[in-house]
Amino acid sequence: MKRAAYILVRNPLSLTGVILITLVVFGALFADFIAPFPEHRGAVVDFANFNKPPEWPYLFGTDLVGRDLFSRILYAYRISLLLGVVVLAIAVPVGVTIGLVAGYIGGWTEYVLMRITDVFLSIPPLVLAMSMMGLLEPTLTNGMLAVTAMWWPWYTRLVYNLTRSEKEEGYVLAAEVIGASKPHIIFREILPNCVPSIVTKMTLDLGFVILIASSLSFLGLGVQPPTPDLGSMVADGAKYLPDSWWLTVFPGLAILVAVFGFNLLGDALRDILGVDQ
Amino acid sequence: MPPVVRLLAKRLGTSLIVLVGVSMLIFTIARVIPGDPARIALGPNATAEQVEALRERLHLDEALPIQYGYFLRDLSRGDLGISLYTNRPVTADIAQFLPATLELIVVAGLMMILIGLPLGVIAARYRGSWADHAVRIFTLLGVSAPSFVWAVILMLIFAFYLPLFPIAGRIADSYAIASVTGFLTIDTLIAGNLAAFGNAAWHIVLPAFALSLSGIGQAARLTRSNMVETYDKPFIEMARSYGFPERRIARRFAFRPSLIPSLTIIGLDFAAMLGNAFLVEAVFAWPGLSRYGVAVILRKDLNAIVGTVLIISAMFLLVNIIVDLLIAFINPRIRYSQRAS
Amino acid sequence: MNRISKSLAAALLAATTLATAPALAETVLRLDEVPVGELDPGKATDYADSILMFNIYDTLVIPAQGGPGYVPHLAESFEADGNDFVFKLRQDVKFQSGNPLTADDVVFSFERMKALGQGLSFLFKNVDGIEKVDDATVRFKLSQPYSPFVASLVRLPIVDKKLVMDNLGEGDGEMKDWGQAFLSANGAGTGAYKVVSHNPQEETVMAKNADYFLGVAEVAPDTVRFRYGLEAATVRTLIAQGEHDISSQWLPPEVLKSLAADGAQMLKETGGGAFYIKMNTAKPPLDDVNCRLALASAYDYASGLKMVAVTDDVAQGSPSTGGVPVGMYGAKPASDAMNRDLEKAKEHLAACKYKPEDFNLEISWIGEVPIEERFALLMQANFAELGIKSEIRKLPWALFTEQVTKPENTPNISQIFANAVTGDPDTLLYPMYHSSAAGTWQSPEYLKDEAVDAALEKGRAETSDEGRQAAYTALNDRLMEIAPSIYAYDRQSIFAASNRVKVPALSDPAKAFGLDGFGFTFRLMEMTGE
Repeated sequence: MKRAAYILVRNPLSLTGVILITLVVFGALFADFIAPFPEHRGAVVDFANFNKPPEWPYLFGTDLVGRDLFSRILYAYRISLLLGVVVLAIAVPVGVTIGLVAGYIGGWTEYVLMRITDVFLSIPPLVLAMSMMGLLEPTLTNGMLAVTAMWWPWYTRLVYNLTRSEKEEGYVLAAEVIGASKPHIIFREILPNCVPSIVTKMTLDLGFVILIASSLSFLGLGVQPPTPDLGSMVADGAKYLPDSWWLTVFPGLAILVAVFGFNLLGDALRDILGVDQ
Repeated sequence: MPPVVRLLAKRLGTSLIVLVGVSMLIFTIARVIPGDPARIALGPNATAEQVEALRERLHLDEALPIQYGYFLRDLSRGDLGISLYTNRPVTADIAQFLPATLELIVVAGLMMILIGLPLGVIAARYRGSWADHAVRIFTLLGVSAPSFVWAVILMLIFAFYLPLFPIAGRIADSYAIASVTGFLTIDTLIAGNLAAFGNAAWHIVLPAFALSLSGIGQAARLTRSNMVETYDKPFIEMARSYGFPERRIARRFAFRPSLIPSLTIIGLDFAAMLGNAFLVEAVFAWPGLSRYGVAVILRKDLNAIVGTVLIISAMFLLVNIIVDLLIAFINPRIRYSQRAS
Repeated sequence: MNRISKSLAAALLAATTLATAPALAETVLRLDEVPVGELDPGKATDYADSILMFNIYDTLVIPAQGGPGYVPHLAESFEADGNDFVFKLRQDVKFQSGNPLTADDVVFSFERMKALGQGLSFLFKNVDGIEKVDDATVRFKLSQPYSPFVASLVRLPIVDKKLVMDNLGEGDGEMKDWGQAFLSANGAGTGAYKVVSHNPQEETVMAKNADYFLGVAEVAPDTVRFRYGLEAATVRTLIAQGEHDISSQWLPPEVLKSLAADGAQMLKETGGGAFYIKMNTAKPPLDDVNCRLALASAYDYASGLKMVAVTDDVAQGSPSTGGVPVGMYGAKPASDAMNRDLEKAKEHLAACKYKPEDFNLEISWIGEVPIEERFALLMQANFAELGIKSEIRKLPWALFTEQVTKPENTPNISQIFANAVTGDPDTLLYPMYHSSAAGTWQSPEYLKDEAVDAALEKGRAETSDEGRQAAYTALNDRLMEIAPSIYAYDRQSIFAASNRVKVPALSDPAKAFGLDGFGFTFRLMEMTGE
């Protein structure tokens, strides 16, 4: 624990990551108190103040129906984080279990499971999610579903490779010799040794899920208005470049800040947990 | 059988199985959706009889496995069906839009190698210095924003505020270039029209750079970490004690072994680029597969969706096979079976 | 490495200088619209298609310039004969292929339109058949009195029969594919512009037809590049940089505002249509007239108009006065503008059999028309003041047209820009409100009202101006009473244009045409040489 704190403080980049993510999470959780115009998260129109460049009290300017962009970005963070957490909460257990089973049991099970994984991995992730989103109704739930569908195979592949090397280790062989059951070996012996890699990847991925989700909504395949969403803000604002630059630049930077923060944090975790790349 | 041929045969075989899987997956997704593709295709004023006739022609009334059977039969003749959106064969549509996308990806891939690897080498050689930190921040930023954000930011700065680059398209209207390869940068050279080549190259810089930024970041990070690992090996110390210049050590002893994992990443990044190209094309009005892809997805144009995804996946697999062969070529000692995907 | 980057820099420099070099003597007009550009006269429907049709093909009549009515064009003269209409053709017209225009071509064009049954063929539902009287005379046989018939002929492009028959594609029967494969990629008309190349997703290039039967002025553009699917930001910059000439009408008002501030001219097309907010009368809660009236009174008309204002005196809309746009038969005067009245809205809502807390309105907007999202938000905010909850849904156009074919799938509220495709009120109002036309993109109201049906039928059967005036006045009154739609504003299309082109038909009311899209007749445009 001390070592962890030391690594975090010693490295300015890691510290930046911690600060950025704290700010993002804090802003999202307490948006109701921080946002100058909390009601602007929804369907509010204020044509007296529309399309305003950044000026007090509109820190990041207003959008085309007069809503405060800063407030909307805070609420958009809330949706993005929720989406990231839910996607990983589903994708990781599924992917990890399949990877463990395929890696440890081997034979036909391995062949079939890994070929299915390959199928998902051979469709470029964004294209797979796009096809699914285009065919389903564009809602938050379906967005999560589509991103989850493209995410689990990466955990399968990671854990599969780890399992294959772990299963030759002495402690696994020892467990087998004393007659431990397969589930016991898989989940009680091998899994704990994969945890550091999984946790590191999850931290990095939280950023990338936000990134992919914003890409989907950039293409018009994400959550629907008036729910604030960073990707669709960028897409909608891009029509008004270069004059109304704040409509695109601030939501774009908001994505950058969040993903950058999770990347720095992931790197720091990697150092702390001693995970190889 | 020479090992390279065996490797090739094995990889092709696996890829084929995977492709069949891909086609089943995307085919199923495309058919279980709500909405009547025939009605959408015929537009607002079609009669019920016309819709029914089209449904029949598309075999939409049959069971799913039978529909898939028809699909495979047509596919074996190189026929992906008619796009209901453009009223043309899907293969013709893809043939028309794919080259522009490929050109963008190839140029972005070159940028990734020509910028990413040197950055990684610099960071490794001067690790711990300000240069190392600068490269790290740059590469992290590169992977931390979706390519459409970079596209918008680059466009805003280098096309709107400083009008150094064009904001849209592949080439100025005034050039009429015969299509040979579909890559304008190559076709213009074939035509011997240097001005047109310059114009085409000038158009591709910004979109390709926006597309390559995340790849540059990953290539640089990976090269750096591999080289740092190699630097810690005893043979580097030995080379130093023999008086080899640092430059030579970096290039010869540290860089070369780290090239192999970097190549692997490039293969994987190609997949990301195929997806991200959709976003960058949308920003720069690049006439590639993106607009077509998004349009057919929004219109539930079944044949076109299945065809587009299938072709993209096939290209992805192909690139990875090429990367595998390249690696085998660079380092024959690699155990062919070791690399799984 | 160094050498390569140097020569690349040199090439780039060469490119920059070349790109800014002065234009050739040949004049090029560049404009854009939304994809897809449909070149087949039997399938053309939307604005982009219309521009293609009006330039590559000709029609028997065209709208009169600077006033109401229609004048003979390919026809020399025409007359009504009972329900029928007889047309005498000009003898001096040649197709772009060199083939002379005869009655056979007119018969073929009409029969092809009917046989394909797509595009705007529904305009000719009341025409039983066509008959060649002699080489220069045709007779259209109508099943009933139908006064808008002459107007609908602006939507019957005349096709070169011989050329098409020489290029029939695969298909069953005598006519095989009716030349669909050929006509989707090639022109076969008499028009002032020929197709040079056509890519429905990207661009149609057209060139002046030197042999046009009316001749084409020297100042008209030599080449026209008609591009599809340019982004608003792209168009905005291209026009500012001198690389684009006329924008589509779909630019958001803010972008038009910036362009106007940069010195671009604002071209205008007035009349013919309106922005309708349509309510699904076939499903609760909007099957109750009081709920509809409540929404119509709660909608903030003034804010809606403010949203589409470009400058102080230019806007993409003008105040609406009812179901019939100002200027058409039966319309109320411009002074009778619709207004918001929240008190009245509350009264209506109290009389409605559904309670506001019991329903959740689905407000849809068409994905291709971004401004509709703002109207959706405006409505959501307006209706919320009555305590009505709502949900906004973006629908791509293709999906929207599919969903409205079933009343239960049709959103409670849809937003439609509608116009009279022939310039006649019948083609605007009949497809929207007649009970037999329910369930298309124009009629997501699913309105079934006998009084409305009667007025619409009277409107198309009456031949006198007074008779039609009376019919559409009655219709308008009834439409106000039962509020199937919110009549948001009368539409005015605004196009930003560079100063390299003059378009009298879109800038001088005395030279305007009463038909949407006809202002884009390229032969009447003037390149300024700037």
